[in-house]
Amino acid sequence: MKLPSLFRRTPFRLTLLFLALFAAVSSVLLAYIYVATATEARRRADAEVRTELTDLTSLYNARGQDALNSALVERTLREGPYLYRLASAQGKTITGNIGASPITNFHGQTTWQSFTLTDTDKSGQVVQRGARGVETPLADGSRLFVGVDLGDAEAHIKRVSMSLWGAGAVVLLLGLAGGLVISHNVERSMAEVNRVVGAVQDGDMSARAQVRGAGDELDELAIGMNTMLDKLEQSMASIRHAGDAIAHDLRSPLTRMRARLEVAMLDAEDGRADPKTALGIALGEADELLKTFNTVLSISRLQAAGEAPDPKVFDAGDLAADMAELYEPAADDKGLEFQAEVQRGLLVKGNREFMAQALANLIDNAMKYTPSGGAVMLRARRRSSGEVEFSVTDTGPGVPEEDRERVVQRFVRLENSRTQSGSGLGLSLVQAVAEAHGGRLQLDEGPGVVDNSGPGLRVALVFPAAS
Amino acid sequence: MRVLIVEDDLEAAAAMVRGLSESGFEVTHAPDGADGLSKAQGGEFEVYVVDRMLPKLDGLSMVETLRREGDQTPVLFLSALGEINDRVTGLKAGGDDYLVKPYAFAELVARVEALARRRETGSVQTVLKVGDLEMDLIGRRVHRSGTEIDLQPREFQLLEFLMRHAGQSVTRTMLLEKVWEYHFDPQTNVIDVHISRLRSKIDKGFDRPMLQTVRGAGYRLEA
Repeated sequence: MKLPSLFRRTPFRLTLLFLALFAAVSSVLLAYIYVATATEARRRADAEVRTELTDLTSLYNARGQDALNSALVERTLREGPYLYRLASAQGKTITGNIGASPITNFHGQTTWQSFTLTDTDKSGQVVQRGARGVETPLADGSRLFVGVDLGDAEAHIKRVSMSLWGAGAVVLLLGLAGGLVISHNVERSMAEVNRVVGAVQDGDMSARAQVRGAGDELDELAIGMNTMLDKLEQSMASIRHAGDAIAHDLRSPLTRMRARLEVAMLDAEDGRADPKTALGIALGEADELLKTFNTVLSISRLQAAGEAPDPKVFDAGDLAADMAELYEPAADDKGLEFQAEVQRGLLVKGNREFMAQALANLIDNAMKYTPSGGAVMLRARRRSSGEVEFSVTDTGPGVPEEDRERVVQRFVRLENSRTQSGSGLGLSLVQAVAEAHGGRLQLDEGPGVVDNSGPGLRVALVFPAAS
Repeated sequence: MRVLIVEDDLEAAAAMVRGLSESGFEVTHAPDGADGLSKAQGGEFEVYVVDRMLPKLDGLSMVETLRREGDQTPVLFLSALGEINDRVTGLKAGGDDYLVKPYAFAELVARVEALARRRETGSVQTVLKVGDLEMDLIGRRVHRSGTEIDLQPREFQLLEFLMRHAGQSVTRTMLLEKVWEYHFDPQTNVIDVHISRLRSKIDKGFDRPMLQTVRGAGYRLEA
């Protein structure tokens, strides 16, 4: 698989997205801080200038131009941020620490203005600094200018902005680095998942993702994928097995039927025998085969659906009693003692027909394998767990413990049952019915060896109680 | 009695026409649902035998249409779909009986016959009589030639079904379906044993056996 470029990897793209967002938000914040600080600085400067101007004009109003003049001289000698200039009505400088008024649009009224001061700093470099000032006319027609150097405030704002920009840059760089690291980590973990997907695509169903043990969502993904692959592999194997088994198991009866028909045809040609009997038997065999197909279909559909069709709540006790009533005469006829112990009010939810079929299969089996003189017992009861249990116990030869899991599989017939008719699907269908109802099938030993027969078999079919 | 067969498999249809004709039915065949519908609307039939999967108009819709128009003629659905819910849908759509392919011929004839005769006994009966056998449906008692026969509840139901279909062949599957109301296929011949028990009660001690075995088909109660 081709590795995607760095920018196409999701974690890295997410990092970039977040960094861009961060930068945008920081810029807005910075702009706000800048504007707020600058406005505040100007407001303070204006207030200071106004106070100074008020002081000076009231001095002028009270004591005249000479007093103002000496006050200005005194003030300009002081080191300070203030700028002063007293000019005559003609505009000539009388006193002050600047040569010309920076107020360019003075028309005889008090006028405020921002302007730029060009100065030489300590190292001799020419710097430009912001300033703010006001010019006002005095009673004798002369003009007074008062201004303040904003230099300090501006420098402060600049320092704040610079450190904010610096911090922003550091965060961006760290974020970028972090994004790369995360992207790399995720990439490495995803590579494991991708490797497994690729392997499965190439037909290797045994490929499994390595779980790192971090317990994070990537581990969960790996575990989930492994479980999914396990199930898939299992069902593929079982389909393959079923396919093989169907082909294998249906071939022998078909071969037998074919031989019978061939012989019948030869016999009929020679006039040796009436083909009717052979045809009748062949017809019966065809019916058996079709029945087998139908059962296989029912099992697959139940398994595929995973649930029983058309479920209803009904009394499993009634069903068991019905089955006992249906089978008792046949058992009796075969010389078997048939007993039924049935509790009532065992409500289960499911498909009654399928459950009846399952129960019938169990009773059929018990009757088929129990020799005459034996006993078959049908029980329906509620377990202490609340589950509903059907069980059929017989005194036949039983199923050896090591074979109990196997006999449930499709088409599996034990050696000593080969002489009996049957497709080997009975218990598979019961199992499928049990699973479709959220229940289970359990095989155990029967009552033990009595009079050379036994140990018998006890098959339990357990369903959850209907809520 | 007239039967309408709606079946698109022409070979199967030919076999059905032949078999039902031999059993004394007058048979009409329609190869698709639309033709089946128009033949059903245009004629008098005692039974419709309808395949579920048909070209032009499927069997379910055809029967639903007929039922909406008030046609109450009994319908036997034929289907390769044997699942339980398929049967339920078939019966809900207005079918009276449901037969899964492949079926034994005797099974089809027996079921068509049962449906065809069902119409004849329209009125509610309280007493069934077949020859010297008498069943009191209200008192739930059975007599043969005046002798009371003691029957278990299920034996009573079994005999009632046989008496209602006296003279007709009924198959084991029909008995399991109609008397026990189960549609599965028991591997053991459970029905045979029930019949033989019933037979020993109603025929034992009488010179003429009424409950007869029909080879290859099932049983028949003869007067």
